[in-house]
Amino acid sequence: MDNPEMQRFLQQEQQKAMMNEMVGKLTSVCWDKCITSAPGSKFSSGESTCLTNCAQRFLDMSVLIAKRFEMQ
Amino acid sequence: MDSFSSSLPSSGAGANPDAVMEQIKAQLAQAYAQEFLETVGNKCFEKCVTKPGSSLSGSESSCISRCVDRYIEATGIVSRALFSSQR
Repeated sequence: MDNPEMQRFLQQEQQKAMMNEMVGKLTSVCWDKCITSAPGSKFSSGESTCLTNCAQRFLDMSVLIAKRFEMQ
Repeated sequence: MDSFSSSLPSSGAGANPDAVMEQIKAQLAQAYAQEFLETVGNKCFEKCVTKPGSSLSGSESSCISRCVDRYIEATGIVSRALFSSQR
């Protein structure tokens, strides 16, 4: 596998897979947190705001936890 | 994706890289779709079929179809929240 084109392709796909996994995981977590009633034909503004906030705060938290471990 | 490495086409000297890449892409797409389907099924069963009867009722079916649409939408919202530059 020393074909550089293949190398680049695999790296790209690996990155895509990681992003895909993260979106999937956060969607699952935030769905459980934010969508408390039976889904309607449209998200309420509260629900979609909650989903956005949930995803972004999860990222913030990950950074915080990483920092917490950096300083032991 | 456990069966991923075992089902790769032979990557020996004779393998055509383009064909290998195409096959990897196709297998990944299938794996993503399968995982998504499974997740959506779990989430919507939980939300819409709270007391399973002898068959899916009309209201359960329509709940499921709304739920699937909303889950796809939620995936888009989360994706934009994570990757859009206006953070």
